[in-house]
Amino acid sequence: MENNIFTPTDFAFAVNQTLDYAYSSILISGEVASFKVNQGKWVFFDIKDEETSVPCFMSFYQLRAPLEDGMKVVVRGTPKLTKWGKFSFTVNAVKPVGEGSIKKAFELLKKKLTDEGLFDFDKKRILPSDISRLGVISSTQAAGYADFIKILNARWGGIKVQVAHTQVQGIDAPDQIIRAIKYFNEHSEVQAIAIIRGGGSADDLSCFNDEELVRAIAASKIPVITGIGHEVDESLADLAADVRASTPSNAAEILTPDKNSMRTGVKLSVTRAGTMVISRIDAKRDEILDKINSIFREIKMSLEKIHNDIRQKIKLIEVLNPEKVLKQGYAILSGKVSPGSIVKITTYDKEINAEVKEIYERK
Amino acid sequence: MSENKTLNQKIEDLDEKIEWFYSDDFKLEEATAKYKDVVKMANEIDKDLDELKNEIEVLAQDFTK
Repeated sequence: MENNIFTPTDFAFAVNQTLDYAYSSILISGEVASFKVNQGKWVFFDIKDEETSVPCFMSFYQLRAPLEDGMKVVVRGTPKLTKWGKFSFTVNAVKPVGEGSIKKAFELLKKKLTDEGLFDFDKKRILPSDISRLGVISSTQAAGYADFIKILNARWGGIKVQVAHTQVQGIDAPDQIIRAIKYFNEHSEVQAIAIIRGGGSADDLSCFNDEELVRAIAASKIPVITGIGHEVDESLADLAADVRASTPSNAAEILTPDKNSMRTGVKLSVTRAGTMVISRIDAKRDEILDKINSIFREIKMSLEKIHNDIRQKIKLIEVLNPEKVLKQGYAILSGKVSPGSIVKITTYDKEINAEVKEIYERK
Repeated sequence: MSENKTLNQKIEDLDEKIEWFYSDDFKLEEATAKYKDVVKMANEIDKDLDELKNEIEVLAQDFTK
């Protein structure tokens, strides 16, 4: 019996050992009450339900989401008996749960980080257009990851993809994702990091609103693209990323060109070149035909001119034809014209020999 | 075409060759040979696209710690 007598310090130590053994890391879900921060270092609040209230303590740097009284949270930590004999729950992680609390924490942190300029548009970098080395952070068992890889492989190839397998939901997910971001920044040569997570409830996706994770994304030297949830889901991680894809599949589409479109484009270019050759041949043929037609027209015009000249001459000859003159009643006198000589008179239809009687000048 | 050329380089080469058909340098006498050349290049690109595969490595690193 005497062996069981403790000093207060020993007793507290023994109780804490027992508590640590029995409840080394437990989760408590409840509502925040009496939230306060002391000296900017220590956080105190109660987590309560309808009947019970448990006092909680944590360091300020471990607080990764804004808290307010009335918010529903899950806290992770260990129970402890303090040296003042008071019971306290030492929290090492806290996560808002329930739609209202998640939204409230989201809005508070969004405002804080926006005011800091963490989401400024001019800080966004453009993803490399020709990616050959890609880092992916996701859970390899998740449907979103499978969708991402499926689309990536269907669209393009030749990329060396390094996958960091992490949790993508739950209280441990942010730290794992942060470690993966750090790993890629320090130990790899990837050109971009894709953070991938399929659809889920607001609670499932709330780890992407973790302050430290959002800061790690913004601080990454390597450009980050997020493909988290669905189109309508917006996380602070999305706002901090250089590029936000609406879904995991959309992230794969943004990162890669489509080889089928490229194949079609190449075929189309070659077909158009062939069509161009045919057009050029047609143009050349038309040019030759035009020349032939032009030469033909010139020959025709020359022939017509010659033909007209000949007709003109024929007309002239016809005018000068003696027979035509005789037909008009004129006569031709031939032979020596002297008194007493015989001359020949030719009319249109007669030839007459006549004697010249007298010759005198016309008046 | 060199075996060492990347797909993008091959596509750039093809685009350059196709440009000739639209340029003032076009000569009907050379068109058939050049067209056969671009068809060959396009087939090579098509084959390369078929053979493109991503290399996926899940890192052994444990990110839980």
